[in-house]
Amino acid sequence: MEERFEPNIVAFLCNWCSYAGADLAGTSRMQYPPNVHIVRVMCTGRINPLFVVNAFQQGADGVLVSGCHPGECHYREGNYHARRRFTLLRELLVFTGVDRRRFNMSWVSASEGAKWREVVREAVEMAREAGPFEQFRREMIGW
Amino acid sequence: MDLEKLRAAAGNVLSRDDIGYLIGWGVGSYGFRTAPLFLRDAGEVHRLTFSPLCGSNLAVFLTMEYDVAAPAKGAAAKERIAVMVKGCDSRAVVQQIVERGVDRERLFLVGCPCEGVVDPGKVEKKFPGTVEPVRAGWENGAVVFWTGGQKVTLPGEEVLSAGCLDCSHPNPVLADIMPCEEVKLRRLAAREDVSMFEQKSSADRWLYWKRIFNTCIRCYACRNACPLCYCSDCLLERLSPAWLFRSVNLSENAAFHLARAFHLAGRCVECGACERACPVEVPLMLLNRKLAREVYERYGFQPGLDPDSPPFQAAFRPDDSEEFIL
Amino acid sequence: MGIKTKTGVYVCHCGSNIAATVDVEDVTTFAARLPHVKTARHYPYMCSDPGQGLIRQDIRDKGLNRIVVAACSPRIHENTFRRTLEEAGLNPYCLEMANIREQCSWVHGDRSGATAKARKTVAAAAARARLLEPLQQKEVPVEPAVLVLGGGIAGIQCALDVAGAGFTVYLVEKEPSIGGRMAQLDKTFPTLDCSACILTPRMVDAAAHPRIELLSYSCLEEVSGYAGNFSVRVRKKARYVDADRCTGCGDCARECRLAGRVPSSFDLGLGRRSAIYRPFPQAVPAHYTIDRQRCLFLTKGRCGDAPPCVQVCSPGAIDFEQRDEVVELKVGAIVVATGCDLFDPSRKPEYGYRDYNNVITAMELERLLSASGPTEGSVVLGEGEDASVPRDIAFIKCVGSRDKSAGSEHCSKVCCMYTAKLAHLLGEKVPGASIRVYYMDVRASGKGYEEFYDRVRREGVRYIRGSPSEIFQRGSRLVVKVEDTLASTPLEDEVDMVVLAVGLEARGDAGRIVDMLRLSRSADGFFLEAHPKLAPVDTAVDGIYLAGACQAPKDIPDTVAQAKAAAASALGLLSAGRIKVGAEVCVVNEETCRGCGYCVQICPYGAVELAFSERYSHETALVNEVLCKGCGACAAACFSGSMQQRSFRDEHILSQVAVLGSKGKGDQV
Ligand SMILES: Cc1cc2nc3c(=O)[nH]c(=O)nc-3n(C[C@H](O)[C@H](O)[C@H](O)COP(=O)(O)OP(=O)(O)OC[C@H]3O[C@@H](n4cnc5c(N)ncnc54)[C@H](O)[C@@H]3O)c2cc1C
Ligand code: SF4
Ligand code: SF4
Ligand code: SF4
Repeated sequence: MEERFEPNIVAFLCNWCSYAGADLAGTSRMQYPPNVHIVRVMCTGRINPLFVVNAFQQGADGVLVSGCHPGECHYREGNYHARRRFTLLRELLVFTGVDRRRFNMSWVSASEGAKWREVVREAVEMAREAGPFEQFRREMIGW
Repeated sequence: MDLEKLRAAAGNVLSRDDIGYLIGWGVGSYGFRTAPLFLRDAGEVHRLTFSPLCGSNLAVFLTMEYDVAAPAKGAAAKERIAVMVKGCDSRAVVQQIVERGVDRERLFLVGCPCEGVVDPGKVEKKFPGTVEPVRAGWENGAVVFWTGGQKVTLPGEEVLSAGCLDCSHPNPVLADIMPCEEVKLRRLAAREDVSMFEQKSSADRWLYWKRIFNTCIRCYACRNACPLCYCSDCLLERLSPAWLFRSVNLSENAAFHLARAFHLAGRCVECGACERACPVEVPLMLLNRKLAREVYERYGFQPGLDPDSPPFQAAFRPDDSEEFIL
Repeated sequence: MGIKTKTGVYVCHCGSNIAATVDVEDVTTFAARLPHVKTARHYPYMCSDPGQGLIRQDIRDKGLNRIVVAACSPRIHENTFRRTLEEAGLNPYCLEMANIREQCSWVHGDRSGATAKARKTVAAAAARARLLEPLQQKEVPVEPAVLVLGGGIAGIQCALDVAGAGFTVYLVEKEPSIGGRMAQLDKTFPTLDCSACILTPRMVDAAAHPRIELLSYSCLEEVSGYAGNFSVRVRKKARYVDADRCTGCGDCARECRLAGRVPSSFDLGLGRRSAIYRPFPQAVPAHYTIDRQRCLFLTKGRCGDAPPCVQVCSPGAIDFEQRDEVVELKVGAIVVATGCDLFDPSRKPEYGYRDYNNVITAMELERLLSASGPTEGSVVLGEGEDASVPRDIAFIKCVGSRDKSAGSEHCSKVCCMYTAKLAHLLGEKVPGASIRVYYMDVRASGKGYEEFYDRVRREGVRYIRGSPSEIFQRGSRLVVKVEDTLASTPLEDEVDMVVLAVGLEARGDAGRIVDMLRLSRSADGFFLEAHPKLAPVDTAVDGIYLAGACQAPKDIPDTVAQAKAAAASALGLLSAGRIKVGAEVCVVNEETCRGCGYCVQICPYGAVELAFSERYSHETALVNEVLCKGCGACAAACFSGSMQQRSFRDEHILSQVAVLGSKGKGDQV
């Protein structure tokens, strides 16, 4: 049997909701695949959309941005800014032919450990279906 | 369009005490090109021109002058700068005002209603190898060229920039004077470029952009031509931290184009200057228009119309759409 | 980077919590080979004293200047290890934690997968650690005063406690008198003390206290600043009565042309007053106020030949020239104690509150029972000839509580007990009355509450389980249509009076307060505390605390307890005298900033402004580090990358992405 493709996913999480939610999934010993690598920021508002473009260049097969539910941002509004920015970024990526399953966003609160597990599973499955990201991955040779 | 009227008006403007100089278009020395002209002397207005060859957006020069930016409160008033603006150029100025890139008080806008500017790629194909300076004008909705002693009339659809064919603001949205008559809004072609492109499969879309991104030589002409790309130190060229590597290849070029387009989301006024400036015909407007459409359809926002609107990328609404969120 | 980076990596076993799933030795060997890593070690419990000692020792012996601790979540031990660094003389911000427990060993069963992920996590942490900069926290002095918003029992108690500890208090109350809801009550459960008797002395104490400045009949206009240094603007509304002259004799009210013609809102419209009034006899401050909406002189420009109030007031206190006055206050902390509104029963039309005069709310009954109320304490229905004393009385509980269809899902907590109280008081006032209570549940948790409820039932009040569906008129009486759900029998109960036990809900102007103070509200509309269990009086905004029924429905004992807690929290801040502000705040590179102001628009705390830069002769952004809370939203919006968040600079995040995005296991970076 052919070896199953294991996608590599970079996830940007806000400290107050999603990162805490991911911690809770751990405290509750919920199991999920190890394909997701987390970058902690204080707020989804901090996540420059170009970080996502950069992650793809670096070779990520999928990118996830996760923060507090609307109205629950620790800094009141950061997630609203993020929502607009990433809605547009995703449209742009898809327009240039990047598979829409590669970029996702989620709202996971500090109490939603189980939701975090589901989000990871879903994001991994989607990236797996989309396959390895080659389109504009940075070739390290020649640099 | 009466060029003499325009020149006379420019002369009057330059004789005013409060005006320092005027930025306009001058007759070019090569083919279909015009050159930006900086005039201080009212006696030199005969060098000014305005024609379908005036595709560059002169607003780009405003932000190069740092002291045109909003001055400190109470700072002594400085001389004003007059600038000739087409409809799209005036929208760029409005957006610059929104972003405090320029101070409205320091500007004097000479509005130039415009019936479309030529696409350098299209005219190059019509008149291959032309080096002698060409003159051009509008006549009854068509574009006329005087080249090699001959007058050639061509329909707009064949030579104008694609963006001009469905231009929504041919007349300046902001101007201090408008020496010539306003032109009528006319849609030569309803462009479906964005939605048609979206019909393609994801794989085909990428094949297209892969080819395009591979063509780009990263000369940054598009960025330099854009009146809204006025960062003194462009993030995308910075070495530390290096968002992009210097090498010209598919990965860096793709990232450059995604980043540039994103930086202009909700800001681009669709003047097309970037696309006309590109030496290798990268369809920058396709990305710009895609985002402009999203910004308009999702958030009801159009940049460059209201100097008092908050900048789009700094605003949100709690009920913004969020259909893709897990 | 002038000084050479020397990083130490410390991998924790956490007993078997990490080591059972992650091969810590492998991760340590891997880490030792990473660029700039001088030392890598693993240890059973890094957070233990010897574990921390190991780090301290290495910092001193090997001159390490960056530390990576691969262990549990930074949310748990970041502060612990920052202190470790500090103790060893290293700047605490040179620490980076790699979360290999909560987000690795505990969630992945497969050892090789978990180990590979741990390697990458550590590599990313090391890459980021190299770029971290030493940071300093700033300290700013704290203004030694507290603003207490709302003069109910919560606000009064809080003010007394803060002032008693030696600090200045500004007690702002929107009504002409302090006292709040408690001033409207007759007696209080479960002990049945007279509400006025226990409240009035506190009101007087508050007004007389040398360190409490009472700003009654005033409202909050604007708040700016931050913990320790708030600037507040308060509008003192014109009373048209000179407070220094008014003796509170009340001659004016007796002579007012509108005497007895203006419904009293304190008595919920059951009683009438004059256009110049004092809401209730024990009001504090005691002086009178002219109702600007009613006064003939103020609304029509004339009042007969001359306003009688002016004529009779011997000290000459009436002053129609008085204007609102706006005062600016500087305070270190703010306590919000604005209390609650009551559910408006006309939102449940089936109970006929609008249609029938003998359907009343519990608060109206409080006023009827009160000896200083509109009926001087007698429970009568109707006026003059028609006046009658009700014999059959039904209470309906949970009106506007626990009722999704009425839009209020929460339990109002006090209604069970006040219903028992009112039933008891009615029984006393109307001997021989037959009282029944329609209820869903009885919730009597609290000291002496169950006993009180038991007593009331033994006194003959009948509790019938069922939630009435309708109230209608039959002759001169009312019929309560209900199903007794315990007996499964439909009832039509004929009564003389129905009392609706209305619920407590958030104040109508809570939204405005939230906007002004940058607070949040919970789903039920009440103000949101920082943590429901561990920080119940704090808010998400440092230096702003909650007390009383504005946070959730509460009875008086809980309100007072919370008020004292809020006072203690505010005092903690004030008595420290100085407050530390975050170090991981934003900073501008003036050289590249184009002054577009997006950051100014985006900052939810108003921490960024544009200021003219002499050096670059145009405006550039400027961050007020004390106001900045370090969210970084401005940094993400800055096109030219001129705005950066300390510890979360672009290069920090890019360095992590470079490792985490790569397909390898992080070793080739
Ligand atoms: C019918 C009824 C009977 C009750 N009986 C009892 C009982 O017997 N025993 C018991 O323990 N509890 C009882 N309670 C509960 C009790 O009333 C509350 O616990 C208590 O009043 C809460 O006090 P507080 O100070 O938080 O709020 P409040 O009493 O509501 O006081 C808030 C104060 O803030 C002021 N304010 C509001 N907004 C602003 C603003 N924007 N600016 C300035 N000032 C503002 C208001 O005017 C008011 O003076 C009863 C409640 C009801 C409704
Ligand atoms: S798109 Fe064209 S103008 Fe822009 S950098 Fe590439 S080649 Fe140059
Ligand atoms: S991106 Fe191109 S079309 Fe848009 S404003 Fe800039 S130059 Fe004009
Ligand atoms: S691409 Fe972006 S960073 Fe570069 S000049 Fe344009 S707006 Fe500025």
